[in-house]
Formats: sequence, structure tokens, C-alpha cells
Amino acid sequence: MENKWEMLESSNEDREKLWKKNRTFAGDVWFRFRHKPTAIAGFVIIILLLLFALAGPYFTKYSYSAQNLELVNIPPRMKVYEAPDGTGYMYITQSLKVVWVNKDGTLGGQLKKVREESESSMTIFDCNGTEVALYYGTKPYMMADPETRVLYPAAHVFNKSYTLGTDSLGRDILTRLMYGTRVSLMVAFVAVLVNLVIGIIFGGISGYAGGTVDTVMMRIVDIISTIPLTLYVILIMVVLGTGLKSIIVALGTVYWVDMARVVRGQVLSLREQEFVLAAKTIGSSTKTILLQHLIPNAMGSILVTVTMLIPSAIFMEAFLGFLGIGLQPPLASLGTMCNDATENLRSCPYQLFIPALVICLIMFAFNFVGDGLRDALDPKLKK
Amino acid sequence: MSNQNILEVRDLTKHFKAGGKQVVHAVDGVSFTLARGKTLGLVGESGCGKSSCARTIIRMYDVTAGQVVLDGTDITNMKQKELKPLRRKMQMIFQDPYASLNARMTVRDIIAEPLIAHGIVNKKEAANELVYPMLEWVGLTKEHANRYAHEFSGGQRQRVGIARALILKPELVICDEPISALDVSIQAQVINLLKDFQEEKGLSYLFIAHDLSMVRYVSDEVGVMYLGHLVEICESNEIYDNPLHPYTKGLLGSIPIANPRLARQKEKSGIEGDIPSPIHPPAGCRFHTRCPFAKPECSEVKPQMKDAGGGHMVACHLY
Repeated sequence: MENKWEMLESSNEDREKLWKKNRTFAGDVWFRFRHKPTAIAGFVIIILLLLFALAGPYFTKYSYSAQNLELVNIPPRMKVYEAPDGTGYMYITQSLKVVWVNKDGTLGGQLKKVREESESSMTIFDCNGTEVALYYGTKPYMMADPETRVLYPAAHVFNKSYTLGTDSLGRDILTRLMYGTRVSLMVAFVAVLVNLVIGIIFGGISGYAGGTVDTVMMRIVDIISTIPLTLYVILIMVVLGTGLKSIIVALGTVYWVDMARVVRGQVLSLREQEFVLAAKTIGSSTKTILLQHLIPNAMGSILVTVTMLIPSAIFMEAFLGFLGIGLQPPLASLGTMCNDATENLRSCPYQLFIPALVICLIMFAFNFVGDGLRDALDPKLKK
Repeated sequence: MSNQNILEVRDLTKHFKAGGKQVVHAVDGVSFTLARGKTLGLVGESGCGKSSCARTIIRMYDVTAGQVVLDGTDITNMKQKELKPLRRKMQMIFQDPYASLNARMTVRDIIAEPLIAHGIVNKKEAANELVYPMLEWVGLTKEHANRYAHEFSGGQRQRVGIARALILKPELVICDEPISALDVSIQAQVINLLKDFQEEKGLSYLFIAHDLSMVRYVSDEVGVMYLGHLVEICESNEIYDNPLHPYTKGLLGSIPIANPRLARQKEKSGIEGDIPSPIHPPAGCRFHTRCPFAKPECSEVKPQMKDAGGGHMVACHLY
């Protein structure tokens, strides 16, 4: 067609032809999803967290359980004192030890203690051959050089050896965070997968069968939902032993009740719709009706429930870890890291802040993605 | 062409439980036969059991009592599995073109669904050869096949519904108010489409509607239902020219006449009052509570169907 303004012949083909490229359903969903900024932001955050959790441990030289008791509670950004000979810095730890910090921010070891002068509240350390004194009689602590001149904090430097600092046992927080995120995401995915399968099948059958079957199945759901989860998890721990497996079993066997209720409600209302009746008169099998008609139309609500479920499963895992009935040390999860951090919350708030931030990030990301998916999966909102 | 009658319905009864011990008498003792290639219209006001009757015949609901014979085979108590091969003979067109198409499926998938359900084709892609001609048949093009139902107008959707019902080449199509959700100009198109199919393929229709003039246009025979009972059934023109049952008279009297001079001449014969509850239907003739000619007998004895001359069947004590 050279001239686009020319009259078309009135053949049917051209009249009803779709000139824009036809997208598949999946392509369509992706198109709508990627035009929602919050959804894409959430999606990118989840991808980054997954990379962080799965690939991260290969790039760190520490293990999640290796302790370095010389370097405990070192923050990511340190207030340091210049050494008398000017070759590096010194950092005073919470436990009144002095740690050598190189000029580039990497950590050396603790300085050797020469003697303790208890009556004048001073400890004398050996710094490259010269003696420096740490006066702890008043706060803030003071450092003095051999000429008893007071040393003042010279600079704030970033911790280059442990980017996010170390915890109270001298373990690298960044490495533990990677493993913790891995555990949280794994718990979330497994719990959701189990919930999705059990919930959809249980709710689907209950709603589709109706009558007595429905009543009995829903009473079972009611009974399960009345069991207090914490108590239930403790009982499972007693039977299966503590660990990741028990948490997954506990969340998997209890959390599906919400999903089952949602699916049942949707199926109950959908199965009286004319298109389902039409499928019955056509002679479609029950499987086809459930999988092609009922579930896809209930998918919107299912996804909303899933997105509520993922953060709540992650939060539940963190909560159990925080209570001390989740993962056992030295394994790391975001909850146990928070729990460990509460002991010295006042002096090292970063130990709590960092894992808490990651929990928030995960929850935000999943909520945004779920919101975007719900809109994207609804063909009535097609642009 | 083994049987002359494609559908025989004898004393069909359908009761629904309505909480507690209450029972809704939706359909009570309806009998009729539908000859091959003919159209039977079923009319009556809302809630009189037309749709329940249709849905019971197609076995969407289980039959409470009576008998449904499809092309010589009694399907009354068949299990859904046994019924499946027979469903190819009997299809249904639904009232609401918005609710009867799955919003998550493309038009191709909707029309291909019966083919897959009956194992005629195995894959959706393979169905195109049958789906495209069918789309052209109902006045759509193959370009429409990849679109979703909500992208169409009401009339186009109903065409998709018709294509779905007809792709299995059924012998009987039950039309459950196929035009009442469409506007007038589209109604005529859809009706003409259905008539064309009948001429071409020798289909039989059970046509349910409350639009009396449209029913007269499409039907060979017309049955009038009131509160679950069939009160009058006869040849289409006869019922319009010579209605016998007081309810039929009232129903026909409610058709507006475009010519005001003729309208003034017409005797006023509207029906007073509301339809009684089907949970507690009146004893005797169910119409006696609203009938202007009711006799004491009417509230006691249920009138039987009888021939009032020339195959004009009516259930009324007046005849």
C-alpha cells in the first residue's frame, strides 16, 4: 500500500484486520506489568535480593559462622584516632580494646595490652613501639600519647574489611545477611508453593462440590485456623527437631487455610456463572472446568492472597527466629539476626537496623509486585 | 433421521430445595414434543419456569420427575458420563452474552472448547480449520479469533455464543432467551442468523423468550407457561389469532400496538396482580388467583390438557 490515504476495498479481510501486532496472553500480561512503575520497582528489588542471596556468598571471603573474637561489634563506619606515628588509625571497641585500622580502612588486629593502671582508670597499649593510654574514667573515653597529650578523634572511616560491620561474635554481618535473605526467601517460596497447591485444590473441590462436602471441608479449615501458630510450631519442633524443615512444615500445613477460603468463595460465585454452565452443557470435564474456567477467573484474588501471604510467611519466619524457636545458631536468618542484635541495641543499633531494613524491602517488593500482577492479569483493563 | 421427534418431554417436574423444608415448584408436569427441523417457542412472564425447564431438559439440573427423550433415547436418569456423547446432539445458547463467555479465553478457545471436550481435535491450534469457517458463518472474521470476548459488542458476543453452540453440528439447540439482552436492531440480525441455520442444516430449536412478537416470527408451535405449568400449546399463528386460555389472552393483550386507532379498539385485558410464590403455588388451576373468569371449581381441581379442536391444547376448565 503506497498511499495510506487511499480508500480500501471493502473486503472483509482488511476491514476487520488488526493492524497492530497481536500479543499472546503472557505478552499482554508482561506489557501491562512493565508499564506500572511500582510493580517494576518491586520486581527489580526481588531480582536483586535473589542475586544477593544466591550469588552473594560466592563473592565474600567470610563464612556465615566464622567468628573473629578480636574484632567484635565493629560498626560499618568508625570514629578513629590517629596513631602517634601517623601510619594508621586506632579504634576503641565497646569492650575497651583498641583495634588497629590501616589508612585505607581495612582492619588490623587488636593492639597489645602493656599494663593496666586501675587506680587512674587507664589501660596502656603498645602501638608500633610507642605507648598509648586509654582513659576510661569518664565518658567519652579518651586516648593519650606518650607525652600525655590528649588525642582527638581524627576522622570517620568506612570499614573496608567488614562492609556492614561485625556482630557480637565477630561474624561478618554482610555474609550473614546473604544467608539470612536466602533462608527468608526460601521459606517464603516453599510456604507459598505448598499453600497454593493445597489451598487451590482444597478450596476448589470444596467450592465446586458444594453441599455436605463443602460443609465438612470448611469445618476442617475452621478447626485448623483456630490452632495458635506459635504453639503449633513449638509442637512441631518437639516432634521434628528445630530447623528450617520444621518451619516450612509448620507454615505449609497451617497457612493454606486463608487460600482455601478465598478459592472456595471465588469458585462458589463463579460456578453459577453462565459461562461455567455453558461449559457443562458442552460436555467439558470437571478438570477442564476447574482449570480453564474457574481457576483462571479466580486468579486475581488468588494472587492478592499470595502477595499477602509471602510477606506474612517471611515475617512469621523472622518472628519465630526472633523468639528463638526458629533456626538455631550458627545458622543465620533475618529474624535470628534481629534477635542477636537486641542484646547490644544501644551501642550497636546498626546490627538491628540492617536485617530489619532487608525484611522491609522484601515485604515492600512483594506487595508491589502482587499489586502489579493483579492489574496485569485482568484482561478487562487492557490498554 | 431415525426419529420424527427430536425431543419428547413428558410430565417434566423440577423442584428446588429452598432452605428448610420449603420447596420451589419451578416446573410441574410439563409435556410437549418437538418435531425435527421445527421450532417450539416457550413464553411466559419472568419466574414462570421457562429457563428451569430448558436447563432441566439439557440436564444441567437433575430431573425431579417425568421423562426427557432426546432423539429416541431416554436421557432422564443418565449419568453425566453416559450423557456426554449425546451432548453433541443438544446444545444451548444463553441469555446473557456478557456472562456466558469466559473473559480469560480468546474467541478461538471459546469456540474450540466443545471440539476439545468431545475429542474431535486434540490441540487448540488444530481447531482453526473448523473454527474459522464457523466464525465466517456467524458473520465474524478469522481476524476476530485472537481477541477476548470483552472486546466485542453484545451482538458480536451472542454470535460467538451461537458459534460455540453450533460447531458440534447439533440437531437440537435450546435458545434460552438469546435475544432479550440485545437491542432491537441486533435482535433481528441474530434471529435471522438462527433462521438461516435452521433452513441450511435442519436444526430444531426450543426457543424461550418473553418477547411475543419475536416468538411468533420464529416459531412453528408456541407453548405458554404459567408458574411451572404449561397452560396452552398449539400452532403458532393459531395461538395469536385465537387464544383460549385467559392467561394467554392477557399476555397477548399486553403487546403494545403501534397504530393508536387499532389500539383503542382493542379490549383491555391486562392481568391484574402479581405472580404467586412458586414455594406455595395455589391449589387447582394455578392461575385462578388472577383469572377474571375463575369459577369455584378452578381453585379445587387441577385442569387437564385437552384438545379444544384442531390440535389446540389448553388446560382450562372453561373449555
